[in-house]
Amino acid sequence: MLTIDNLNELGANTGEGLKRCMGREDMYLKLVPRALNDTNFEKLKEAVGEGDLTAAFEAAHALKGVSGNLSLTPIFDKSEEITELLRIKSDADYAVLVEELIGIRDRFRALCE
Amino acid sequence: MENFRKHSGLKRSILIVEDEAVNRDILGFILEDSYDVSYAENGQIALDMIRASEQPYSLILLDLMMPVMDGYTLLSTLKEDDKYKYIPVIVLTAEKNAEVKSIKLGAADFIKKPYDMPEVIMARCERIIELYEDQKIIRSTERDELTGLYSRNFFYEYVKQIEELDSNNKRDALVLNVDHFRLVNEIYGHEEGDRVLRFIADSLKDIFAEDASIICRSDADNFYISCIHRDDYRDHLERIQDKLDKIDISHKIRIRAGVNINLEEIVSVATRFDRAKAACDRIRGDFTRNIAYYSKDILKQVIFHERLINEMGKGMEDGDFVVYFQPKYLIKGDEPKLTSAEALIRWKHPELGMINPGEFIPLFENNGLIQKLDNYVWSKAAAKIRDWKDRLGVSVPVSVNVSRIDIYDSAFEDKLMNILKENDITPEDLLIEITESAYSENAGGLLKVVNSLRNKGFRIEMDDFGSGYSSLNMLTVMPIDIIKMDIGFIRNMTKDEKSKRLVELIINIAQFLKLRVVAEGVEDKDQLEMLKGMGCDIVQGFYFSKPLPAEEFEALF
Repeated sequence: MLTIDNLNELGANTGEGLKRCMGREDMYLKLVPRALNDTNFEKLKEAVGEGDLTAAFEAAHALKGVSGNLSLTPIFDKSEEITELLRIKSDADYAVLVEELIGIRDRFRALCE
Repeated sequence: MENFRKHSGLKRSILIVEDEAVNRDILGFILEDSYDVSYAENGQIALDMIRASEQPYSLILLDLMMPVMDGYTLLSTLKEDDKYKYIPVIVLTAEKNAEVKSIKLGAADFIKKPYDMPEVIMARCERIIELYEDQKIIRSTERDELTGLYSRNFFYEYVKQIEELDSNNKRDALVLNVDHFRLVNEIYGHEEGDRVLRFIADSLKDIFAEDASIICRSDADNFYISCIHRDDYRDHLERIQDKLDKIDISHKIRIRAGVNINLEEIVSVATRFDRAKAACDRIRGDFTRNIAYYSKDILKQVIFHERLINEMGKGMEDGDFVVYFQPKYLIKGDEPKLTSAEALIRWKHPELGMINPGEFIPLFENNGLIQKLDNYVWSKAAAKIRDWKDRLGVSVPVSVNVSRIDIYDSAFEDKLMNILKENDITPEDLLIEITESAYSENAGGLLKVVNSLRNKGFRIEMDDFGSGYSSLNMLTVMPIDIIKMDIGFIRNMTKDEKSKRLVELIINIAQFLKLRVVAEGVEDKDQLEMLKGMGCDIVQGFYFSKPLPAEEFEALF
């Protein structure tokens, strides 16, 4: 179940995320699933698969922004790592990094089911 | 300002431009209680919304990375558009590099990503809206709409700022004014007057382009200039006058300056300009000077003049203004014969005593109050004429002065006719004295009025004849009845051959044109005999009598 406690357990900084939503839990818990269902996860995976690093950067950057605002810290940290690598088009194993990101995402998603 | 914002109940509108729905919703959630919030998911949609909206947005919150049209493109599009460039834009970004680029494109501020706490976001939005609204008010009020020069209050503030930033350079206060500018508006209409004012403004911008000058139009035809001190402004004035002489208008536009040299004294900016203006006002109508410097004497005089202006109305109500009559004698026969009189005003002030007309008449001429005084004299003189007819059975025509400003008054003739009617007297009873300078100022207007008055039966006396530049020229077109020679010629004619010749010449011309000639200011027998010998018809002056109160004047009948 998607609760503040469960999110905290997965490493989210819900205290901070809630503050951005003016302390309104209902608002925050409504926005979290939308962030987890963001199509940029899939776009990122696809772009990396196609070697389109520009499109991949844009998707990763967007994910970083959204997860940062909701303080979904593990997702934010990973998407930030990917974003910064992509920004300088570093020679990294993006497929692995993206899988890790999606893995984290899925753990959060499981709370919504 | 604070109160206006808090209590006006206005809900300003904010446009959030952000492609990520979650981010949009968070910002919207924070702001929607205080603002009308609209959303756009990319730059293109935002641009369409901005263009379609009737009320301009008070603020745009702008993400940078977006599909279709990114934030940079929207920002630069808005800032290049005169219609939208003043809408403040706060950029939402996590990147330092992006901040630099956004600032260069005209962003007002930034909100970090991940977002700051709601209080911070609210405060930033409020502050930027306030700042831009204040700037908008400043933009719309700091300049005079007509000329593009500063308006007065802003001008004073900017002068203060300049002086604080550059205290090494002492600055002077200059006030420039156009002589009788009101007449330009009266004769040619306000549009033409405005054109002249713009022309002057442009000339000043050009001529005072240096010396760290700043210029404002204070009001009407008053221009204020603050510039680094210099010892002499004659050259500036000359250059302005040169330009004005070339303006395409038949009226001579003459400019005057009052200068307050501010080397040591610490007085407020406004006071310095008030004093420069006082100096400028003092030489109004003085054709021999176009620059006056402020001094303590001027201040004293200004205070005195203000008192006269303030107390004129009450003086008229209380009967402190008294009409005196100075007799005019016909000197054609063996014995001088009383033929008419000139009505002259005297002010017996309850505290200041008898005030010299030379003190208050030019003052009232300058601010238009003279019209009231003229009307007063006409009425009083007419009433006396009636009284003399009734009581003494005597008809003595009285000359009354008509000021330049009366000529432009469309009700002028009606006023005169009403006075005749009220007192049951005829146009022959009132002689109309008009100063010659009215002709050089507005020949066409004066000609019309003179013709119309003569058609009604009035006789016209041209006062100060010979003092202007166009005296002879005027005689050929102006249908006048009597020439009154300028007092200066009479004063000098026994001492100075040239003046004597001129008097002789004027009398000859008058005889040739079959006009009567009056000599005023005749003080002694030598003058009288000389005038008599030359064939002068009528004499007025202390030799016969000073101006007298009505009851003393009656004794001469």
